Amino acid sequence: MAGVALLFLLPALVALLLLRLAPAGVALVDSLSRTTLLGGTSFVGLGNYLELFANADFQNSLAVTLLFAVIINPLQIAAAFLLAILFTRRAAGSKFWRSMVILPIAVPPAVSAVVWSVIYRPDGLANGFLAVIGIPPQPFLTSPYQALLSIMILLSWIGVGYWMMFLIAGLNDIPASYYEAASLDGASWWRQTWSITLPLLRRPLAFVLVADTVSNFLVFAPVQILTKGGPNGSTNLLMHDLYTRAYTFGDINKAQAEVVILVLITVVIVAAQFRLLKTEDQS
Amino acid sequence: MTTMTSTRRSFSRQTILLIWSTLLAVTVGIAFLIPLWWTFVNSLRPGSETFSYLNPLQWQTFFTTTPTLDNYAALLDSDLGRAILNSLFVSVVTVIVGLIVCATAAFGLSAFRFRGQAALFSVVILSFLIPFDAIAIPLAAMFRDWQLQNTFLGLILPGIGNGMAIFLLRTFFLAIPEELVEAGRLDGLGWWGIFTRIYLPLSRPALIGAGLMLFLFQWQAYVWPLLMGTDEGHILGPVALSNMQGQFQVDYGVLFAASMVLVLIPLAIILGFQRYFIQSVSTTGLK
Repeated sequence: MAGVALLFLLPALVALLLLRLAPAGVALVDSLSRTTLLGGTSFVGLGNYLELFANADFQNSLAVTLLFAVIINPLQIAAAFLLAILFTRRAAGSKFWRSMVILPIAVPPAVSAVVWSVIYRPDGLANGFLAVIGIPPQPFLTSPYQALLSIMILLSWIGVGYWMMFLIAGLNDIPASYYEAASLDGASWWRQTWSITLPLLRRPLAFVLVADTVSNFLVFAPVQILTKGGPNGSTNLLMHDLYTRAYTFGDINKAQAEVVILVLITVVIVAAQFRLLKTEDQS
Repeated sequence: MTTMTSTRRSFSRQTILLIWSTLLAVTVGIAFLIPLWWTFVNSLRPGSETFSYLNPLQWQTFFTTTPTLDNYAALLDSDLGRAILNSLFVSVVTVIVGLIVCATAAFGLSAFRFRGQAALFSVVILSFLIPFDAIAIPLAAMFRDWQLQNTFLGLILPGIGNGMAIFLLRTFFLAIPEELVEAGRLDGLGWWGIFTRIYLPLSRPALIGAGLMLFLFQWQAYVWPLLMGTDEGHILGPVALSNMQGQFQVDYGVLFAASMVLVLIPLAIILGFQRYFIQSVSTTGLK
């Protein structure tokens, strides 16, 4: 019977091993060696990693990625949480307005980057809105101080509705009787949110936190399309840094080292998710 | 008397709360809609007018009294239109082949009990621990060695083995009662027969959910098609669109029309299969 089962599993296993696990292995092997211009390959151990961490561009990219992660993840989750609360409250046409927030899910990242590149133009829609409230035109993508923030706003436009959906599902699972009991006890809205909503929403919140963090570590299309990592490296997130390292600078071995670092980061985060969700089941 | 005033007061407080939450919901909804709506309106007017109504903002910014489908017509015989058709082809083939590959795997993991099953399942889990984009560059190097660059095969292959889809289908398959399988066996069905005659017909919702997952993976992909499909015949919609954005002379009307098509196709599919989409999303959350 195991034979039959294996036959059924074979195509998928080959695909997963070849298309997911093998490239990770290839990256690991390549990252430990160096190819010279003459075509010779030599084993250099952790040499590529050491040089990478000593490289100013990589240091900057790592710093930008961390700064980006530290700002965007809490912001997106807080926004998704507040919107989930808003859209589960009683309000006229709530479902309709909610679907407007979910709509951007259907927009491929590259398409949203192209659309927002027009919105962010000096004569674009964003500055049109700023003019209404009396703020002078902003440079957005061409300013080293605003470019990363502009990318965060665009990513939140796509992402927040998606994360909100998980939280709304979680909110709907909380029995209404809990809130009724709390209201009878005279608990305020804040108190109810703190003592009922947040604890009972821990599981979807943990998932959203981890999944959001992983997806934000992999951001590429908006950077490549809008800023190419600039100005002054201010938006040079890891995915873009390793892409340019591989294809613009042709330093494939160091790029592979960067791939390994990125895979390690995401595997650690996802593994943390499994732990978080598991320990909760036991308690 | 006092109870009456207090109910009236709490009633009016509730009304005020309702009005506030409605106002807030409307504002947030519209704020999220604006970028897409603006794109839509501009896809209906000549590209030369894209920036005409922005300073100051006016009602014409968001509405047009003379909508035209010229931009969409121009799309039909442009490279962008061709690229969107390529995207459609790649996504549809991925869904069909991917569903076969993922469903058979899920069947192998759920209908049988054998040694090493747990180990194989952990390969599936491990494969979706590694996000695809993160390993796209080493995989692209492999595909180049195999001469798969600028082929549809090269574009489609990475989409067909989707650990998440296998996971979703397996969860669903596990709920199919063993008695059905036994009855099928007694009636002389082989394993393939049990798979196609019992499992598949019972699993339509899960198959649709998994199919959606496979479709969106390909339709939204950017990194992989950028690495793998660069010639005219194999370029995909998102890549062609981003190339156009970089050009010196851009017809924004056509650009926006292409954007709308690239958004409306997945949107129509998501809305049409909303129930299954939400189901597949909640499975993603391992709820």
